[in-house]
Amino acid sequence: MTTAIATVAHAGALARRRQTRPRVAPWLLPLILVLGLFYLYPVFDVFRLALTRATLLGEEGGYTFATLTQTLARPEIPGILGVTAIFTLASVFSQQLFGLAIALVVVRGEKRRLFGTTIVRTTALIAWVVPGIAGGIIWKMLFNEAPFGGLNSVLRMLGATPVQWLSDPDLVMWSVVMSNVWRGTAFSMVVMYAALKAIDPVLYEAAAVDGASAPQRLFHVTLPQLRSAILVNMILITIQTLNTFDAIISLTGGGPGRSTEVLSLYTFNVVFRNYDLAGGAVLSILMLVISLGLALVYAAFLPKGEDR
Amino acid sequence: MRTASLTSLAAVLALGVALPAIAAGNTITGNTVGPDNAPKTLTFRMTTDGPRNNDPAVADGYGKLFREYVARHPGWKVELQMMSGDIGQEQARLLEQAKSGNAPDCAAVDSFVLPLFKKSGVLQSFAPYFNKDEIDQLFPFIREGITGTDGKIYAWWWATDLRVLYRNKAVIAEAPQTWDDTKTAALASVKQGMEGILFNGGRFEGTTFDWLANFWAEGGKLVDDAGKPIFGEGENRAKFVKAVDYYRGLVESGAAPKRVATIGNYDDFNAAAAAGTTALFVGGNWQLAQLKSTLDAGDFANWTFSMLPGPTKEQRSTGTGGWTVASFSKDPAKVEMCANLAREIYMGPANALQEQLPTRADLYDKYPVFATEANKAFAAALKVGQARPGAPVYPEISNQIQIMMGKVLTGSQPTEAAVDDAFKAATDAFKRL
Repeated sequence: MTTAIATVAHAGALARRRQTRPRVAPWLLPLILVLGLFYLYPVFDVFRLALTRATLLGEEGGYTFATLTQTLARPEIPGILGVTAIFTLASVFSQQLFGLAIALVVVRGEKRRLFGTTIVRTTALIAWVVPGIAGGIIWKMLFNEAPFGGLNSVLRMLGATPVQWLSDPDLVMWSVVMSNVWRGTAFSMVVMYAALKAIDPVLYEAAAVDGASAPQRLFHVTLPQLRSAILVNMILITIQTLNTFDAIISLTGGGPGRSTEVLSLYTFNVVFRNYDLAGGAVLSILMLVISLGLALVYAAFLPKGEDR
Repeated sequence: MRTASLTSLAAVLALGVALPAIAAGNTITGNTVGPDNAPKTLTFRMTTDGPRNNDPAVADGYGKLFREYVARHPGWKVELQMMSGDIGQEQARLLEQAKSGNAPDCAAVDSFVLPLFKKSGVLQSFAPYFNKDEIDQLFPFIREGITGTDGKIYAWWWATDLRVLYRNKAVIAEAPQTWDDTKTAALASVKQGMEGILFNGGRFEGTTFDWLANFWAEGGKLVDDAGKPIFGEGENRAKFVKAVDYYRGLVESGAAPKRVATIGNYDDFNAAAAAGTTALFVGGNWQLAQLKSTLDAGDFANWTFSMLPGPTKEQRSTGTGGWTVASFSKDPAKVEMCANLAREIYMGPANALQEQLPTRADLYDKYPVFATEANKAFAAALKVGQARPGAPVYPEISNQIQIMMGKVLTGSQPTEAAVDDAFKAATDAFKRL
């Protein structure tokens, strides 16, 4: 009898709990619909197109794995991936380094109440605000190798030899990286600045009491505290850099030859110059896989649980 | 006194209202031409050859033409859509929209991608709206370009252009006739402190198109009748390699600066001419007017042009391009309005307004602007003009030639290997289409 009463009471409690528990589905439905319609469906369609022979000129022609294998086996793919790797690694490393350096200078300047810290932050952000196409055009004018070109004119005034910024196949990639770092450093600077401001000042006070030098404070206090921010920033700027093509298309168009044709630009060319929609879809998936792979690698180094 | 003040105030206010209207003239600032309540609308996607031209005088001229066109067709208004400067991407987007039934009713289609649009079956025939006399007046290569496999016309090609060799007469007195002459003249200009000859050599359609004249002058063919790439086979390969080596030789001898491998814009030549750093460049006929407006009268008087040099004096060619107007609408009334727009605005009036070469022989006599010595010379050069092949694989052939040119001009690959790579890639692309 007691057991029966307890059972009934328990069932009643469950029913009441069920009645009071909010129904989440109606609340989540709009979000699920928006995500599904505008994010998941295009991704699904890219995977579907990758298994067709779709071009901008004709029909899709049934489903096949041939597009996948043929696109990835194109002879130019290794070279394109190599150019992409150099561009991405150099850009990400430099943006992180310069972003951190500028943020350290700004935070230090603010602590000492120096004039101009806001100007430094704003100046860096201006480059970030400039659209990629416009940035490419600006740098094209600077790198112009004509006698009246921007940087070479300065070099001539200084008595130095003009540089083949864009026509030397060995140098052009570094010119492109330079323009991309100019534009992307501000983002890293903002992330690092926010992370630096969040470090507990007590840690620096304790380090000072222990007699730590400036380099010791940087390597044993600042950088360990920034670990998460650096890794998150690396994930974000790696994805941004892998997707960069607007600045390159206006600066070099991917040339001379294929010297600066990164994967995103190659994908663009495959779809919009070669009208190969299915091939472009395969390359988009390749970009997705590379981005996800690198993000997972970075994420593996993120502090877990109690490490934080 | 008070009355005088009020009169002055009224006059100032009236001027304030009237002046912007006077200044605006025919300029169209909104997206619609014609009455807002017009029951029928024609959407027209255009390039800067329209009321949004950067030159206020040209924009004003187009504004007048569009207003007059709408006034002649009561009950209609035109909704204007603007293309960006990335023509390749814009045309690909237009094709995709046309295939999914979302294209504008009427649009500007670049002549070199017109074959793709024809092949896709997205264009409506203009045959009912242009009579035989009008079509017969078109230059043969123009007529061929707009005609489908069924013999009907599917667009109206209203303007054409061509490539010529510009030179500063004060530095290079005689027009180079052959490739060897060109190299000699360019080297002579280098001795006078110039950069040498400039031409497009970057990742840019102009790189391919400007250079192709050299290949065509030898009688080379890019594709066969089925549209299959053949430029890397047999005699064509030898001619192709020879024409590429001509450009390579210019750079390696110092007759052209290495920076040509980075040039992908005709404006760079105008800038070099204005800066006095070059005396020789391969450009388009439209650049003559640009040079005239850029240079002061004394400097401009030194500039002239001649036909592109060939391997011999007799072997000459030049690339001809231009723009068409075509309709995508399923509504016959809109197709007719689009054809009317091509005829009433572009076929003649727009040619005269922008001094863009007409595609009909009779229009050269109709408009005085084409009676100038320069325009007569351009018209004469059109006789050796050649349009890009109407093959769907052409855009990829062009892409591969641009890549090849970059490798050759920077010396990073031997000519023959670069040509073979380009041919293989173009052939692979042909198989995929």
